[in-house]
Amino acid sequence: MNGKGSVTLNAGIEKAWEVLLDPEALKNCIMGCKKLEPVNENKYEAEVSIGIAAVKGKYESTIEIADVQKPNHYKLIVKGEGGPGSVEAAGVVDLVPIDDNKTELNYTYEAEVGGKVAMVGQRMLNGVAKLIIQDFFKKFNKELAKSEQSI
Amino acid sequence: MSKVIGKRVTRVEDARLLTGQGKYIDDIGTPPNTGHVAILRSPYPHAKIVSIDYSEALEIPGVKGVVTGKDVHPLLNPFSVGVSAPVHYYPIAIDKVRFVGEPVAVVVAKNRYIAEDALEKIKVKYENLEPIVDIERALEKGAPILHENVGSNIANHRTFHYGDVEKAFEQADKIIKHRFHFPKYSATPVETYGIVAQYDHSSDSYTVHANFHGPFVLHSIMAGALKIPSNRLRIIIPKDIGGSYGIKAGIFPYIVLCSVVSRLVGCPVKWIEDRQEHLAASSSCTDRVTYIEAAVKNDGKILGLKMKMIDNVGAYIRAPEPACLYRNHANTTGAYDIPNLMIDAYAVMTNKLPTGLIRGYGGQETYFPLERIMQIISDELKLEPAEVIRRNLIKKEQFPYRTASGGVYDSGDYEKAFDLLLKIGKYDEFRKKQAEARKRGKLLGVGLAVIVEPSGSNMGYITIALTPEERKAGLPKSGCSEAATISMDPMGNVNVRISTTPSGQGHETVASQIVSEILGIPHDKINVVAELDTATSAWSIASGSYSSRFASLGSSAVYYAAHKVKNKLIKIAAHFLKAKEEDLTIEKGNIVSKTDPSKSISVKRVVGSAHWNPLSLPEGMEPGIYETAYYTAQAEPPDDQDLINSSVTYGFVADLVTVEIDPETGDIHILDYFTVHDAGKLLNPLIVDGQILGGLVHGLGGAMYEELVYDEKGQFLTGSFMDYLCPTAPEVPNVTIKHIETSSPLTPLGAKGLGEGNTMSAPVVIANAVNDALKPYGVTIDSLPVTPNKVWNILNQSKKQEVSS
Repeated sequence: MNGKGSVTLNAGIEKAWEVLLDPEALKNCIMGCKKLEPVNENKYEAEVSIGIAAVKGKYESTIEIADVQKPNHYKLIVKGEGGPGSVEAAGVVDLVPIDDNKTELNYTYEAEVGGKVAMVGQRMLNGVAKLIIQDFFKKFNKELAKSEQSI
Repeated sequence: MSKVIGKRVTRVEDARLLTGQGKYIDDIGTPPNTGHVAILRSPYPHAKIVSIDYSEALEIPGVKGVVTGKDVHPLLNPFSVGVSAPVHYYPIAIDKVRFVGEPVAVVVAKNRYIAEDALEKIKVKYENLEPIVDIERALEKGAPILHENVGSNIANHRTFHYGDVEKAFEQADKIIKHRFHFPKYSATPVETYGIVAQYDHSSDSYTVHANFHGPFVLHSIMAGALKIPSNRLRIIIPKDIGGSYGIKAGIFPYIVLCSVVSRLVGCPVKWIEDRQEHLAASSSCTDRVTYIEAAVKNDGKILGLKMKMIDNVGAYIRAPEPACLYRNHANTTGAYDIPNLMIDAYAVMTNKLPTGLIRGYGGQETYFPLERIMQIISDELKLEPAEVIRRNLIKKEQFPYRTASGGVYDSGDYEKAFDLLLKIGKYDEFRKKQAEARKRGKLLGVGLAVIVEPSGSNMGYITIALTPEERKAGLPKSGCSEAATISMDPMGNVNVRISTTPSGQGHETVASQIVSEILGIPHDKINVVAELDTATSAWSIASGSYSSRFASLGSSAVYYAAHKVKNKLIKIAAHFLKAKEEDLTIEKGNIVSKTDPSKSISVKRVVGSAHWNPLSLPEGMEPGIYETAYYTAQAEPPDDQDLINSSVTYGFVADLVTVEIDPETGDIHILDYFTVHDAGKLLNPLIVDGQILGGLVHGLGGAMYEELVYDEKGQFLTGSFMDYLCPTAPEVPNVTIKHIETSSPLTPLGAKGLGEGNTMSAPVVIANAVNDALKPYGVTIDSLPVTPNKVWNILNQSKKQEVSS
């Protein structure tokens, strides 16, 4: 499965970059994320509970950030395993400044699922991926607003 | 009462089944302290197991134990299998997983809920390996190898030359060839696998209740895997099995797994498979690529055939594979007189679910290329398909017919059955209708298929997987034994014990009909017990319910056992009546003299004497009435030329299917399905038609709906009934069933097996009909299932070509 998309973030590129790589903000934005802790620079361990079709359950994941070109570009490598099966995904994020308060974010992703989630959830995956991504950016813009307020 | 064999007797099983009183595996209860099993399965198609940490699972209250491959490895041998490739197959992954769904760990808990929850606490680290799922890629150099010690993915390879194939191809006017791909699909009985297994320390023995239905040769293989003398593995089959269609033969690895888990955890265990497990990890038919070449004369006569068959047996070749390749070996040339045949047979292993029996076993894979090439031949030679079939059919006077590969077709009148088919199917009329419809832009099609339906497998056929030299090293294998026991109690009532482990085919009814007719007792007064117990029943390695063997073999064992009882009753009566045995007959509960009606004694009294007054019996006769008969038909081992008569009896099925295709949506509507059968003498036509209809719908599934789909990375994509489509009542078309009966000379009742025929024929006859409808588009359907999607793509492709050209 793969896909791509584009969203406008309500922040300048530096700010957007900072929040995108803030573990606390990410935890709040990823649907079903119960835990997100750095294990070393650019690598996190996360626990995500999510249901795809009839397959609900918890995935223990590692999230790695690679190919970092601050503040324009990075790559996310996600590997998750749990009761419902396995997920391996890679996403590429590019930031382009629009003006001081707006940034365009372009993303592409590829994902593969295995085990039970592939067996019974395959047809739903594209829809679920879109849902998760939309939800992420909706929450992300709120995080940006929060971070503006705190300044 | 005297004539009850062959009557449409309603089933004695139905009263209990329809009132919810069936006794299935999940109904039999469990011993105290039974633990419930849940199985952790691999999410990866091909990976090394680096580590398994189940410490957290053990902490959950109610968990009794966790077992992994490392734990069971010292207690088990790999399952033996009839090929020389050293494949080590265990019921649970030891150090490597080779298909999605392969067991990796087993949790035993107080109940299933706790066991399932505990699975999530087990942490397995895998190291992924490159998977392989494509049949032909698996044969290529450099392909990922599943079993390193085998050295390739080939589990078995044999080449056979019968007649003079090269000469046939030299003499041909034309050589017509094509490649076909048959899909992997399942059998989906309503009741899934179920096991209650108990290890007894004091006797080092296992008692297992399971809805296993043979072949009981697998009992020896299970005992061998458990490293115990075979009389310490007692397997008891419940009275009722909720359908199988072959797939429950594949429960045997789980019987061994549950047995050894019971031993390690120290309590009886119960496991009922769920539907997702069943689809992903029970068993299935093979998917097969066939390259077929026909040497033909311009009049449609086929001189010779070459077939390269590559069967995909999944991640591990396991018994009885590679039988799928060879079950139809004797009838590879189907209903046709083709004396020259070359077969190049491969069994390959890929990262998919291991295979085994399902209804039709190998028949659908064999007849799909054969009957498709018949249609292609007629297209290329511009002949009517019906004419090409007729030109090649075996003629009535040729029976018993010896096939190129060693089969002996016992009886038949194929032309008569085929003519009947064309008549009831109004073939010529449909052709006219089709031509008119085409003018109006309507897509109508008609398909034909004729097949030979083998029944009663010869236990020797599987050894054809070995070369004649390799076979010499072992004990020759032949026959197809079955047993039945009939006893009469002191009050003169009859109990019949059969070892055919029915899963809904009505064996109890038919057995009661046979015994009724021979002993002159109403069939509903006869009690038939179908539970098989390997410790107390009469059974053989061939026993069980598969290869449509009840009508040819199981019924014959019942027949001979009933005759043994009858002979004993007559002997006793002759002694009491001072009459000659040959003068006596059983009539309405009495044994009477045919010449002197005053000489008469009730059966009840005769039986009573055998129990109450044994000293009154003829000199030297044993007391009691308890007779077992073992029966086998003449089924020889393969000879040095690899000639093998792989089955005992051979029936005939001729199908005609008409379809209409919606050019807008690609939807395939079956207008009519006509099927003519010759299964010899029918024992119960009511049951016969039910069996035929069930088999036909299974074939319809293979033709249009069912496929176990894996993506190119080996992930399994059809793990529920939302993705794995089975035909249900609304999908069943109009079906017209007709019979002719040419008695088998080999069985005492003249009967042949049936029920699998349309599973073998439906996929190809429907493909032929669809292909016929799409003839104006110049396409060839060479893979299944034919879905609206596939048809729509074909239609759109050719529309695009029209536009661009």
